[in-house]
Amino acid sequence: MADERFQVIVIGAGVAGSAAAYRLAKAGREVLLIDRGKAPGAKNMTGGRLYTYALKALLPDEWQEAPFEREVTREMMMMMTPQSSIAIDSTFSVKNQLSYTVLRAKLDAWLAAKAEEAGAMLVPASTVDGLMLKEGKVCGVRIGDEELEADLVISAEGVNPLVFERAGIIKPVENSNVALGIKHVFRLPEAVINDRFNTGSDQGVAILCAGECTKGISGGAFLYTNKDSISLGLVVDSLSWKNSKLPIADIAEALKQHPAIGRYIEGGELVEYSAHLIPEGGIAALPQLYGNGFMVAGDAAGFVVNSGLTVRGMDYAILSGIAAAETAEEAINSGNYSRTALKSYEDRLKQSVLKDMETFKNAHDYMAHTQHVFTTYPMLAANLMESIYHVDGSPSKRVLGTVREAVAGKIPYFNVFKDMLKGARSL
Amino acid sequence: MKSLSIDDRLAKNRFDSDDHNPHIIVDKNACKTCNHRACTYSCPAERYKWDTVNDLLSFDHVGCLECGNCRLVCERLKQGIDGYSWDYPSFGKGIIFREG
Repeated sequence: MADERFQVIVIGAGVAGSAAAYRLAKAGREVLLIDRGKAPGAKNMTGGRLYTYALKALLPDEWQEAPFEREVTREMMMMMTPQSSIAIDSTFSVKNQLSYTVLRAKLDAWLAAKAEEAGAMLVPASTVDGLMLKEGKVCGVRIGDEELEADLVISAEGVNPLVFERAGIIKPVENSNVALGIKHVFRLPEAVINDRFNTGSDQGVAILCAGECTKGISGGAFLYTNKDSISLGLVVDSLSWKNSKLPIADIAEALKQHPAIGRYIEGGELVEYSAHLIPEGGIAALPQLYGNGFMVAGDAAGFVVNSGLTVRGMDYAILSGIAAAETAEEAINSGNYSRTALKSYEDRLKQSVLKDMETFKNAHDYMAHTQHVFTTYPMLAANLMESIYHVDGSPSKRVLGTVREAVAGKIPYFNVFKDMLKGARSL
Repeated sequence: MKSLSIDDRLAKNRFDSDDHNPHIIVDKNACKTCNHRACTYSCPAERYKWDTVNDLLSFDHVGCLECGNCRLVCERLKQGIDGYSWDYPSFGKGIIFREG
């Protein structure tokens, strides 16, 4: 006999879980939101940047109160060789509030509090140990000896969905479908950040790097300015890294020492060193998204799109949380929690998350198998830049000649052409 | 910028460690037969080290960042075969991100 009974139990108070719980609580439903962290956000990490449109959809009147760090108004792309770098810089004059840098300890605590205010019951510091199943239907969760019953269970348990994997409900996550993210947060006075990045107090920079930072392994580095700190991190394909046999913690440390990066974090005090996995398998790696008595949302469902130049997960997590809540509403109203009844979850996702995942279905493969993007091209670009501006009185060449010289012997022209063509079709 | 050892880096974090109940269990003797030892270079917190003097794996769950990468690079942890298991800590123990 179960100790308690709820209409919906949500596992995980990240942005997907809290979004779902908020929507359901607002609609007057009895919803239990369980998180394994001492407080929501304590176990979560992002690069990170949040694209705001999804939060606007969830909280049209309150989204601007979210604990944002800085609005991203300057985007930079950088290519790195061991000693050099070249970057494409930009400044956008329009303040359109499309994306903000965020830190999860603050953001998740805020969003979970919204769900609680709306009437959801939040239980932190509790790790779900297993599911209750009856006649092939998920009907609750187990925490230690305690059993909690529900008409519906939403898994928003994150990138390592142990509960649903172990219940044999979704296929296990594979090494080949995740990337490993490692992040340093350096504290620096707000005014120093403003000066160093030429920004106003509420505005900031996002830098995306490729090349030497990952030792040529598929992945990249990122730098985001927060209010009074800088997030500097590394993302690498987990399987490619395993095959490379390089020491990951040392490479993460080496990133700080690169001359192109070191100047930005100089004088900063390390306040946190974190790591997290990122689902990157794309649409081909999706698990079962719904079934009798359950739905899967956010990272647990693998809802991340890496387009090569942007990595988006939190916005899709929020959208999928909303979609799960809307579907749950329908199911509760009809009293039908079967797989057939929950199919409309997929229909909702097809209008947003799944549509983008379909568009970028080849991006992960392209990035993982086009090694030159992470090795040869950054080298070529930096060498080319260096030779163009290296004037020492020796006979000059026209730019095309310099390009030919830079490329010569490093990579066949035809391969460059092939990579460009494939890239244009995948990214 | 000054280089920091992994212990110095982890010392900046907040942990509420459950010293006596490791959430990850490995069979160090059985690990001798592993042919890749990917855990020793794929863990961002360097919790797995190969002790070359005793030719034995050394592992400390305290300081684990709970990313889960070891669970995926190690076939034995992934399958949870005898002597190997990977769980999240209970009761809010383990890493407490204050930034995230």
